[in-house]
Amino acid sequence: MSGSYVIAPGSPPARTPLRHVAAAAAIGLLLLLAVPLALGRAPYWLDVLTNACILSFASLGVWVTFAIGRINIAQGAFAMIGGYTTAILATRFGIGFWFGLPVSAAVAAVAGILLGLPILRLRGVYFAMITLSLTEAVRLAFLSLGAATGGGTDIVNIPTPAGIGSPLAFYLLAAVLLLLGLLAVWRLDASRLGAVFRAMRQNEDLAASIGIDVARYRVIAFAVASAMGGAAGSFFAVFHQNIFPASYTIQDSVNVMLYCFLGGLDFVLGPIVGAFLLVIALELLTALQQYQALLYGVLMIAAMLFLPNGLLRLRLARLRRGGETP
Amino acid sequence: MANGLHATRRGVLAGAGAAALLAASRPARAESVLKIGVLGVMSGPAASWGLVNKYCAQATAAMWNEKGGVTIDGTAYRIEIVPIDDKNDPKLAVSGAERLTEQDGIRYIIGPNVDTTAASVRPVAEKNGAIYFPYAFSKALYTPPAGNAVLGMIASYQAGPIIYRFLRDSRGVKSVAFVARNESDPLNQRKEGVEAAKKLGLNVVSSDDTYEGGTTDFFPVMSKVVSGKPDLIVLSGVAPADAPLLVKSARELGFKGQLSTETAQDAKVLREGAGNAADGFISVGGASTPEIASDYMNRFRDRYARVAGEWNDEAGTKVYALEIILATLQKAGRGAIGDVAAFKRTIDTFSMRNPFLREDKPLAYVGTAYFGQKRQIGVPMVVNEFHDGAFRTLFIGSVE
Amino acid sequence: MEQIIVNGVVLSATYALVALGITLIFSIMNLLNFAHGQILMIGGFMVYYVYGVFGLPYAVALPVAAVVTGLIGFGFEVLLFRRVVRVATREENSMLLAVGTALLLENLALFGFGEKQRGVPSIVGGVYRVGAAFLPAGRLLVVLIALALIVALLLFVQYTRPGRAMRALAQDREVTYLMGVDVERISALGFALGAGLAGIAGGLLVTLSGVNAGIGTALSTKAFIMIMIGGAGVVAGAILGAVVLGFAEAVGYALIPGSTTYLLIFVGLILFLVLRPQGIMGKPQR
Repeated sequence: MSGSYVIAPGSPPARTPLRHVAAAAAIGLLLLLAVPLALGRAPYWLDVLTNACILSFASLGVWVTFAIGRINIAQGAFAMIGGYTTAILATRFGIGFWFGLPVSAAVAAVAGILLGLPILRLRGVYFAMITLSLTEAVRLAFLSLGAATGGGTDIVNIPTPAGIGSPLAFYLLAAVLLLLGLLAVWRLDASRLGAVFRAMRQNEDLAASIGIDVARYRVIAFAVASAMGGAAGSFFAVFHQNIFPASYTIQDSVNVMLYCFLGGLDFVLGPIVGAFLLVIALELLTALQQYQALLYGVLMIAAMLFLPNGLLRLRLARLRRGGETP
Repeated sequence: MANGLHATRRGVLAGAGAAALLAASRPARAESVLKIGVLGVMSGPAASWGLVNKYCAQATAAMWNEKGGVTIDGTAYRIEIVPIDDKNDPKLAVSGAERLTEQDGIRYIIGPNVDTTAASVRPVAEKNGAIYFPYAFSKALYTPPAGNAVLGMIASYQAGPIIYRFLRDSRGVKSVAFVARNESDPLNQRKEGVEAAKKLGLNVVSSDDTYEGGTTDFFPVMSKVVSGKPDLIVLSGVAPADAPLLVKSARELGFKGQLSTETAQDAKVLREGAGNAADGFISVGGASTPEIASDYMNRFRDRYARVAGEWNDEAGTKVYALEIILATLQKAGRGAIGDVAAFKRTIDTFSMRNPFLREDKPLAYVGTAYFGQKRQIGVPMVVNEFHDGAFRTLFIGSVE
Repeated sequence: MEQIIVNGVVLSATYALVALGITLIFSIMNLLNFAHGQILMIGGFMVYYVYGVFGLPYAVALPVAAVVTGLIGFGFEVLLFRRVVRVATREENSMLLAVGTALLLENLALFGFGEKQRGVPSIVGGVYRVGAAFLPAGRLLVVLIALALIVALLLFVQYTRPGRAMRALAQDREVTYLMGVDVERISALGFALGAGLAGIAGGLLVTLSGVNAGIGTALSTKAFIMIMIGGAGVVAGAILGAVVLGFAEAVGYALIPGSTTYLLIFVGLILFLVLRPQGIMGKPQR
């Protein structure tokens, strides 16, 4: 029926963690060895890949909320919260990034729990729309807060993390963060928690009826997502050395969600594949100047038209057999 | 489809422009190339800001290239503009700046347009030794230890006091109300404006009314502003798209006093959006009004229209960046093309005749009074009043 | 005080048209149309060119806007969404498509119509006084046209065959299919109708607030707020949501100091949805 979740025929069975470790090692080699060797002297591409790594990291969080069947368009809000936490810690209290990062993730997680408790009762597009509104609401809140406290809302001259200065160092930090995030989400997906999430995605009421504390688990998922968003915001705050209420907009939240769709929602690697492809594609299209944004849109349309279930679905080659029922 | 048709029509125009650019540059082709970056927002709601910068740079470059390029230490350089759209996203501004400075080896960048992106570009510019010309007003960008940013235009906190004083002294304005879009940049500009108005002894009737981006109806917010019965309503940091709507709403709500802003506006946009309701609206402009424009300015105007499809008065304030970069490079010598230290040294003593004004006025770097160093282009502060569909220049001020 | 009511009425009437279009598409396709604001923007440009530039009567321009945007909606459904909705394992996948079409329209418009703000002359001049309030004739006309169109739409959905089929489709797609309704035809019609309504809304708004290529996203966000308040997929809910938002904005800007109006609207929205997750009129969620 309209709106019900069609259970993906290829929903991932919990794969052996060993395979994950092998895959993570391969990705780690690629990110931490091959890329620095190939692009270590190209700060521009390092910067692009740094963006891709951290945006992937934020998308992984959104993927966790997709795992419980929620379309989360609020990641920009949590990146903003994390970014401001890091910025305030660094500029007002002299607390550096290495301590600021976990604190920012924790603050974002707490915000995620507080906001998630009420809004996670919503489902489907209602949840999508309320999270989209949340991005805008958080931006407005920071703007008003700045006006209310008399101080400005802009924080500039945020110090870089101790020991991190060059583009390569920032890239390596981003890549390590991404790898840790990937391993954590893989671990989560393969654990009992992952199974609970899948059950909730397929049918929340059914999951509740077999004794799963649905309300608790969906808040856990949202808190994980928010923490990852907060960590991403924390990174960008020290990377750009500033934060403004305009640093994250609805566009950021939407983009992060799109990366998940493009890569494929059934795979932990989906958001990473999606983020890297779209971030790199946008940069490659820069040469086309005014046609860049136009072709970026066309690319998205084409991707969905020919790979409606994400790029990683390609290898399953079940496109043609897709459900014929309307 | 109609929009498809227009797309091609404009595409042909753009294509023709590009062809003209190419053809024009041919005579100087054997010579070296001087690349200048334009980094700014060129799509989305604020697209006009960065696009006007881009079109200005392209038009100026085309005019120079037609004359055989710019000659620095006896070598003629063909000017090539490399534009990048940052979508007002700090992430893209940073990678864009890396791309311009590292990939293309560019040392001089025009833009970005807002505080967020300009502040994010700063570490890249300082690390890679590039000078950038933001159109953002945050003082931290231009005050030491920052040293690589040069403000491209008149800041609102510079124009505001001068306009308010003029209105107080010659139009009898005693009270003022402020309205701004609810975003960091305009809010900061309003804060500065309120302080300036208070310093001049004006009675600030209201200073906390804002509207959101994407407002379709300005009646609600203007009802409140007008109800305080101020003599003057200041539109702080108003985008050219919003100005006619705010002005028209104020007039339709029976407001009879003065209206002003510190940003540059476009006459056609005001004409279409507000018509006669915009009569008497005071804004800051470039050197494009007929009574002050030089021949060179008029030729630039034509060239801009060929590049962009039509003239935009906002360009009057943004025409200066590339012109002064080239002139400063000519004075600083060939070494400055790859090393901004020589350029920075030249900034302090540089002065040229303002090529866009009919009158003989100097064009130099200014800003010491505000930033403690010369990190601003000394664009003349042209204060215009809108009348019968066109701007009329009230007076020309300057910044120290 | 009178001014607040007048402002609220004008806002509500125009917002209702915006919300109706998006809710129609949502109810039929279960699709959150991110391109709604962009379609509206195209409608605005159509009126700008036909009425503002070529000088044809407004009565010609508005239908042109409706037809052009309706065709765009029809094309999107037939060429893009139909296929994706059919083969996607999750319906939400079409969201990426919707965002893609939004980007496409926005940048085509930027490319074709330029970056400048455009405006048209008022359709009628003059300002009425309602008590202490000012009501320009142009605004009154916009309200009247909007109300007439809303009534016409309600009648269409309630009493015509395709209208009834659309409502059936919104309730249960499969049963409607089994009842022998040509679901594909009705979906395309619904998409075209929703887009056409957006185009008309844009064509009306251009007389009040002009148009530029970048206005779409903010308007889509507003449309989302309205259908959240009223209840997604219900025609009466969309109208109610528009009235609530319109008056919240009018009252907020008049009485609440500073920049907190929209912040409070968002906070109120979250609190409200906690109490009533399906909006005022929406069907309870599955």
